[in-house]
Amino acid sequence: MRLLKFKRFNFFYDPYLLISIILLSFIGLIVLYSASQESSSIIIKQSIFVFFGIILMIAVSQPDPAFYKNISGLFLVSSLFLIVLTILFGNEVNGAKRWLDLGFFTLQPSELVKIALPIFLASYLYDKSLPINLKDTIFSLLIIGISFRLIVFQPDLGTSIVVLLAGSYVLFLAGLSWRFIGSAFAIFILSLPFLWNNLLVPFQRQRIATLFNPDADPFGTGWNITQSKIAIGSGGIFGKGYGSGSQAHLDFLPETKTDFIFAVIAEEFGFFGTLILLSIYTFIVFRCFYLSFNARDRFCRLTIGGLSLIFVTTIFVNLGMVVGILPVVGMPLPFISMGGTSLLSFYIAFGIIISMASHKKLIQQ
Amino acid sequence: MIDLQERFIERRSFIYRLFIVYFMFGGLFLLVLYQIFQLQVANYSEYEIAALENKTHEMNIQPIRGVIYDRDGKILVNNIPTFNLISIPNKVDDPENFINNIKNFIDITSAEENIFYEKFKRKARYNRELVVKTDLNKQQIASFQVRKHNFPNLFVEKRYSRHSDYPNILSHALGYIGSPSDMELANILSEAIHPRQETIFSYANGFISGKSGIEKTFDDSLRGDFGEKIYEVDARGKLLKEISHIEPSEGKNIFTSLDLGSHITANNALEGRMGAVVAVEIDTGAIVTLFSSPSYSINSLSNGISNNQFDALIKDPKKPFFNRALKGRYPPASTIKPALGIFGVQNKLIDWDFSIDDPGFFTLPEDGRVYRGWKKGGHGKVDLDKALIVSSNTFFFSLAYRSNIDDLAEHLSKFGFGKKVCLDCFDEDEGLIPNPQWKRNKLNSGWSRGDTVNLGVGQGYMVATPIQLAYYSSILANKGPINELSLIQNTTDNINSSMHFDNFQSSDWTQLHKAMTDVIDSPAGTSRRLKDLKSFQVAAKSGTAELVSLDSKEDYLLIRENETQRDHAIMIAFGPMPKPRYAVSVVIENGESGGAVAGPVAIAVLKELIK
Repeated sequence: MRLLKFKRFNFFYDPYLLISIILLSFIGLIVLYSASQESSSIIIKQSIFVFFGIILMIAVSQPDPAFYKNISGLFLVSSLFLIVLTILFGNEVNGAKRWLDLGFFTLQPSELVKIALPIFLASYLYDKSLPINLKDTIFSLLIIGISFRLIVFQPDLGTSIVVLLAGSYVLFLAGLSWRFIGSAFAIFILSLPFLWNNLLVPFQRQRIATLFNPDADPFGTGWNITQSKIAIGSGGIFGKGYGSGSQAHLDFLPETKTDFIFAVIAEEFGFFGTLILLSIYTFIVFRCFYLSFNARDRFCRLTIGGLSLIFVTTIFVNLGMVVGILPVVGMPLPFISMGGTSLLSFYIAFGIIISMASHKKLIQQ
Repeated sequence: MIDLQERFIERRSFIYRLFIVYFMFGGLFLLVLYQIFQLQVANYSEYEIAALENKTHEMNIQPIRGVIYDRDGKILVNNIPTFNLISIPNKVDDPENFINNIKNFIDITSAEENIFYEKFKRKARYNRELVVKTDLNKQQIASFQVRKHNFPNLFVEKRYSRHSDYPNILSHALGYIGSPSDMELANILSEAIHPRQETIFSYANGFISGKSGIEKTFDDSLRGDFGEKIYEVDARGKLLKEISHIEPSEGKNIFTSLDLGSHITANNALEGRMGAVVAVEIDTGAIVTLFSSPSYSINSLSNGISNNQFDALIKDPKKPFFNRALKGRYPPASTIKPALGIFGVQNKLIDWDFSIDDPGFFTLPEDGRVYRGWKKGGHGKVDLDKALIVSSNTFFFSLAYRSNIDDLAEHLSKFGFGKKVCLDCFDEDEGLIPNPQWKRNKLNSGWSRGDTVNLGVGQGYMVATPIQLAYYSSILANKGPINELSLIQNTTDNINSSMHFDNFQSSDWTQLHKAMTDVIDSPAGTSRRLKDLKSFQVAAKSGTAELVSLDSKEDYLLIRENETQRDHAIMIAFGPMPKPRYAVSVVIENGESGGAVAGPVAIAVLKELIK
């Protein structure tokens, strides 16, 4: 909520979010250097991402929130269009088409939908009376359903669930009727067996089964979670020291650069290090909490609320997976994991949040 | 647009709902934090160990087996090195080029080459060693050594094999080694620090364990303790670097009481005939000779023998694997007579003045059955002294006839018959002293006086092993009990004093020794022909064990056509008299006359021991 006035233009920023996100990004680079076995090419590439991400975030925070309200529809439609393109022309990896090769960058459009959907719903619902009527509810659900279904089609269950949650958060925060919530919840519970059998493919079911009994097959399906727990646990209170994590450096830990990077932090910096990381995340989340209370209007409120909850959800899905209380789904740790679209989408999301936070006083509606 | 009131309600509803979601995440946050705390703080040590186990790979290092010495410190069994050319595939870029380079100076067969290529990839992935060629000769080693600097991925390593310079002479005493059975292996590895880990072998044959003889009995102390190498490994099990190295401790050397020279003598004297020679140092009970013939090469058995060769050994009718010294069951025949004499004197059935008239046979009063002596017409008037010298059967038939069988059986057991006499021999037979109870249980028939009479001349059901005969001979020599027999040099006494012979005085012993010396020295002695073979006085008693019970000498001449039915020649002897140091027993299967056939062997062995 700061405004630097220059002669020619105004600079909009939020020091708390800006500093903590830049701090996280640097921690991410430092950890990634160790997690990538000191690979300088990976670090250079990621540094470029981080640099442009931060520039992008600052750039995105300059326009007035009204701009995002206006382009939200276009943003969502084009993101969904990119998913269709991905399904048609994307790179197939392990039977899933999630990436569009742009030559210099492989884009994962589902990550964009994660931001576009809540902004669109916020822009749609910001002027609706409470509680949200049936027509608006059904329209919102339809939009959520289409986005969800398209991503499931890729297939990418992890992201599709986050997208589903992203839409649901906004709908819920906007004032979805409790009666509807109650009946939807009941239907969800009742249809769980159906979902289990029809929505989940066998390897996904296996992952959930593994969660409850990782020791059943410690060298097969339980390997990742078993090794992750060993990495975290063996870090102890103060860790094994930077670059000295045997689990990470001797390839016991899978996906050290992406999904399981938290285990690298826990192994090398110990309980102490994990507490510092969690504190920074907590600080960001509480800052967003505060900003959404004090947002200048309902659109900003819903957007900040929705985007920050996706941030929180991503963190917890990742941590839950890495510490062994949630099934293994591909989900990066925001600002720490190596990655393109996911990282950029969070810079964009926080750019929009900062825009909404810092434009408050200037234009009172 | 919504009005101000509605905006207020909306904002409150939003805050309220956001609280609900944050509250849920707060709970989730605590759950994650709790889990991290559990992992990193509460159960830290458990995971620390798990991480350590992950990144380390322990390998056992096989210890070098102890050396076996004879009593003079001559090496009987040793470990000799063979040299293998070993590569480090992880450091080899192009295996074919690598092999071709080696071929320039060491001949590699196509079979060796194929094995190398076959195993190369896997060994490289896990960074293990791979043998290129085994058993290099000196020239090959030398030609590698000068080119060593060109091959950082190649080295020569020692691998041992078990070797004896006397492979056929001490086979049954020393025994051989072989691959352990699953159970033996489990036992061997249970002493290693990490039982289920890989082992770095020091022996060309891999795991080894003693299969018979001293190698078997003393396997535990010969084996030594496994050392350990700890490597850091990655998740694929590839060795990265050595973290620690504990040298194995070598097995203990065994200093046996065996005398090499006497074995060579026995081997030469027996000339491959089936039989056994056992000699004992009387003072200590140490076994100096434990020889069984025919035998086999422990070197080839220990280091790999072809199936054909092995089959030939197994099927050989002379049974070279059979340790006759410990397991051969022979009637002691006339060699038992001194023990009978002692029994008679002890129990006052006879004394040295007592005599009978020997007509050449003994008639059992109960049924008139006739028990014949070896000399037609008999020996005339015979007392105990003469009965021993001329080996009168009639005298001992009648003595046995008057004996209580249970007392006699107990008396014979004092000489080691019917039980194990060696502390540390491998697989020793107990022999048999028959008694009424045994006969009822085994043969389901009653004891007859005739059975006792037969026992009087060491025939019938009684059987003894050569080692029992040697033990018996030692007790006669020592005029009383001696240490339990042993194959190792041992200075502690373990004489069981309850085994002393009451009512058999020192003068009685002197008379007995005199009579046994006269077996050779007297012109009437059964072994008088040995007199000129020796350079010192020897006490002895010969025996001729009948395999077939016959009534007359003519009948025997018929059956002796079949060599396997010929009598066994037996000899017990001790010397030098009058202070005997060694006692010996000799059995030669189907050798017929004890004195004439087994006697020279006994004398030769005693001479070798005493020289």
